[in-house]
Amino acid sequence: MELRINQKAYQVDADADTPLLWVIRDDLGLTGTKYGCGLAQCGACSVLVDGNVVRSCVTPVAALVGREITTIEAIESDEVGKRVVATWVEHQVAQCGYCQSGQVMAATALLKHTPAPSKAQIEAAMINLCRCGTYNAIHAAVDALAKQEGA
Amino acid sequence: MNNRRFARTAGWLALPCLVAAGLLAWYVTREPATPFEQEQAGARFEPALVSRGEYVARLSDCVACHSLAGKAPFAGGLEMATPLGAIHATNITPDKQTGIGTYSLADFDRAVRHGVAPGGRRLYPAMPYPSYVKLSDDDIKALYAFFMQGIKPANQPNIPSDIPWPLNMRWPIALWNGVFAPTATYAAKPNQDALWNRGAYIVQGPGHCGSCHTPRGLAFNEKALDESGAPFLAGALLDGWYAPSLRQDPNTGLGRWTEPQIVQFLKTGRNAHAVVYGSMTEAFNNSTQFMQDEDLAAIARYLKSLPGDPQRDGAPWQYQAVAAVQDAPGAHTYATRCASCHGLDGKGQPEWMPPLAGATSALAKESASAINITLNGSQRVVAAGVPDAYRMPAFREQLSDAEIADVLTYVRSTWGNNGGTVDANAVGKLRGHTDPASSSPIILHMR
Repeated sequence: MELRINQKAYQVDADADTPLLWVIRDDLGLTGTKYGCGLAQCGACSVLVDGNVVRSCVTPVAALVGREITTIEAIESDEVGKRVVATWVEHQVAQCGYCQSGQVMAATALLKHTPAPSKAQIEAAMINLCRCGTYNAIHAAVDALAKQEGA
Repeated sequence: MNNRRFARTAGWLALPCLVAAGLLAWYVTREPATPFEQEQAGARFEPALVSRGEYVARLSDCVACHSLAGKAPFAGGLEMATPLGAIHATNITPDKQTGIGTYSLADFDRAVRHGVAPGGRRLYPAMPYPSYVKLSDDDIKALYAFFMQGIKPANQPNIPSDIPWPLNMRWPIALWNGVFAPTATYAAKPNQDALWNRGAYIVQGPGHCGSCHTPRGLAFNEKALDESGAPFLAGALLDGWYAPSLRQDPNTGLGRWTEPQIVQFLKTGRNAHAVVYGSMTEAFNNSTQFMQDEDLAAIARYLKSLPGDPQRDGAPWQYQAVAAVQDAPGAHTYATRCASCHGLDGKGQPEWMPPLAGATSALAKESASAINITLNGSQRVVAAGVPDAYRMPAFREQLSDAEIADVLTYVRSTWGNNGGTVDANAVGKLRGHTDPASSSPIILHMR
């Protein structure tokens, strides 16, 4: 099957029910997306599909033919994604960094749908787990991005 | 004179009592007739018959109760609850000391089809002999050949039941049998074709689908054992799960399923409507996936012939779209915990992750299945030796009773679902019963 990932076409030989995460990490070598729990619980594997945040560990690859997938490797070619990464650096959000690829994806998807989210909306949307507990920094960074938009 | 008259009267009274007691004693210990009376024990069987018997054992899902994971196959041990105390499935390997190695074909037949062990001792009807009685003579013989020659003897003594004296006396079961257990093997219905009859045979007989899917009466009897009774396969609550209707009910049954979809479900464990979960996972892992395609087609044909009950089932479900995430309690939990797999639109990712829109567990009045799977997740579905890629996680440690009640109420009242609200107390109760560390865990009833 053919998958569109980061605006590039890939020929993929995988069973219909293979999780997207397996394909992008193991078959295509795009290892920026992380495996956390494998049960859609933590969000470390988040990628964008047509601009929506999706947990790739529970997404059968067959459903993605003909759709546009974006991973962390290409997030800075997205205008919103670029701002998110810059703000992430500015706020020094990452600690160990393992969950941050997914956090950036979640923040990008939120800001694409809701350019100036309220604190409550940020709290409701930024639900990926972080073992280091960088939640305060994450919320501060997204809040700063929301305010940029409002300004 | 008076004394003599009294003695004579007493004698006249005692005589019928003695006769009645004698008749009762005969009735409750008698060994039912079997066509295999003349067969000798210790016969050798052709490999073809043994492998045919192995298939009948798959159809009948003998391992479900008679095997424990990690122990010798068919050596027994599964604990099952009765209203009086726990009983344990027995060793049915051909071990001469602790198993059924000394059984003749006639003994085996009486046990499997009539629930009577050698010597006239009655088995508890946890052994589904009211269903197995439908097995044909040929299938019984093949099954016997498999158990005598196809599996290794295992020396594992049976575990005595927990039922105290005098309730542990077995003879009253003979009276129960007289009322509730049929005695005839399956007889083909001449007005139906061969496919339908084969399906009816498997569903009613070896498949013993009614053990879980047919509601039970006060005496723990299945309320119907074939299509002549409306309660047959009409859905039943047991072991903390709601086994849905297998009749043509569009909401709580198979009304929206096509025959190929029923076949696909039993063969691969999943289809566009649902994925096996709860007790059905075991039935799938051990039994239905091993059934031959023509047998699955027969089951589908038969089940599609069982009419639904609009009175019980209500108006047929139709999908209703909802605008984004609402403010309803449970909506946010749904969006954050459930939607990654089941979709914000409730449509799931067929056939890998089941839709909740229109799901039986969201339409049935009984909320047990919805609560149970949310608390405890699903077991591994192993199809053709390959474990499933996706699995429902357990939310026992992550969500409170109130949060689970709210999110299930949301699921059961959105997208056209009308199963109704879920009460936090019901979640708490099932949480306790399904916690292996609790003092009141659910012990399996029937399989």
